[in-house]
Amino acid sequence: MNAVTVDVVVPLGAELRRGPAAWVHGFVDMMRFEWATIRPWAALVFIVQIMMGVGMAIMYGFFYPTVDETTALLITTGVPTLALIPMGFVLVPNSVVNQRMAGTFDFIWSLPVPRSAQVSASFVVNAALALPGTVLALLVGMWRYGVDLSLSPILVPAVLLSTVMCVSVGYGMALLVTNPLVVNLITNALVFLVLLFTPIVYPASNLPTVMMRIHEVLPFYPMAQVIRAGLTEGLVTDVGGPFLMVGVWALLGAGLTARAVGRRH
Amino acid sequence: MIATLDAPAWAPATTLRSGAGYWWTGFTWMLRWHLSSLRMWLMLLVMIQALIGVGYVLGFALFFDEIPPAAALWVSTGVPVLNLILLGMLLGPQLVAGVKEQGGYDFLQALPVPLTAAAAAWYVVTLVGGLPGMVITLVAAELRYHPPFAISPLVVPVTLLIVFTGTMIGYALAHAITKPMTTQLITQALVFVAMGFAPILFPAEQMPGWLASVNEWLPLGPMATIMRDTLTDGLITDAGRAYLVVTVWGVACGWLAVRALGRRR
Repeated sequence: MNAVTVDVVVPLGAELRRGPAAWVHGFVDMMRFEWATIRPWAALVFIVQIMMGVGMAIMYGFFYPTVDETTALLITTGVPTLALIPMGFVLVPNSVVNQRMAGTFDFIWSLPVPRSAQVSASFVVNAALALPGTVLALLVGMWRYGVDLSLSPILVPAVLLSTVMCVSVGYGMALLVTNPLVVNLITNALVFLVLLFTPIVYPASNLPTVMMRIHEVLPFYPMAQVIRAGLTEGLVTDVGGPFLMVGVWALLGAGLTARAVGRRH
Repeated sequence: MIATLDAPAWAPATTLRSGAGYWWTGFTWMLRWHLSSLRMWLMLLVMIQALIGVGYVLGFALFFDEIPPAAALWVSTGVPVLNLILLGMLLGPQLVAGVKEQGGYDFLQALPVPLTAAAAAWYVVTLVGGLPGMVITLVAAELRYHPPFAISPLVVPVTLLIVFTGTMIGYALAHAITKPMTTQLITQALVFVAMGFAPILFPAEQMPGWLASVNEWLPLGPMATIMRDTLTDGLITDAGRAYLVVTVWGVACGWLAVRALGRRR
């Protein structure tokens, strides 16, 4: 009788990969995955972002019989905020909704990559798509209204924190609300509220006191303030409070996302 | 053996049906079709219309420290136009694009209903969807600003005309453009244009001269002009041209749509 030899087959990926190197590896792979998913639409998303940003910079000027210096400054420094909000609160939730409807959502989550790396990758890709439109909107505003800005170092943390906040809240919302229709409704209502009822391109003093108080704890007005503080001098006196508020929302969004991400089905 | 062939118990009529009675039957059937396929959405639509109307009327004031009466009058007489064109021009094409993507379009096309009867039925539905919003907007404007409205009986034909032109533009967008994606894009852009780049919410003088001239040839600005002509006294001095532009757009788009629908594939 011959001796039967059995090769020991080690199943692929039986050992748990972990540590920073595995995370970075997964992050890079997921960034490529995200980019490949979004690539057919990237040009379109890019153009829409630019049109929305530039369009708003020009459009709000039409609302006033005469655009005085203060109004021009408020519009120019408010539009970058307005250009960032749709990215986090419309694009990100919609991409999650599309993944759910197409059935790729569960597939992506089954990939052997840390989920935090997946979320971070999607954040970077979406932010990269949104930032050029934001910058262009700012430039067009400066050109159209002849506004001189004085950039300060605050701008960098302000934009970064705001972007993180928008994406994480948008993500958290899309992950927690599982009904695509409801997500769609929320994002549309948010855009309407942000465009008309949030003191981003007009001073908060135009609002009734109650609404002013409400906006101090919602994320949009503090976000406009920190970005404005990075673009102007003396217009925003207190940046600590708004920074804190944007930070709280970012943490809240990140917490919601982490909760949804960490949950097993 | 002799094979016997049974004559079919029922055969479709071979004569071509035509005439006013046939048209009317088709019209009522299509009306019922549209109303029952929209039944869940109609209530939602009326609510959205109310939100848009009240939202714009109240929200526009926030852009000013103290809204000038002229601006209040312009926005109060402009938002009703947005209400009237929302279903026919902006949502309608998206609905049809959705039907095309789901594959139900050819079925609808195959229904034995005259094209003009189907178009007329859709027109009545868009009228029903637009009127409540218009009334709610005007009431909200009256309560908020007490603008010097001087409503003339002409408002009835003008409303019918605006809805007709809006619906026909939407009909042409939906049926003459074959790719649903293009239709979606154009209607999205139209929403943006209607809000900020057509003199609907604000006077044309607040736009650059060239943009104002372009708008004189496009339908949205003239629609607002004829609406203002019937809601106020003395605000619009010469509306003849605007009536002509709106009518020509309506007829031309209606012709385009019916021609595209009648084409054999």
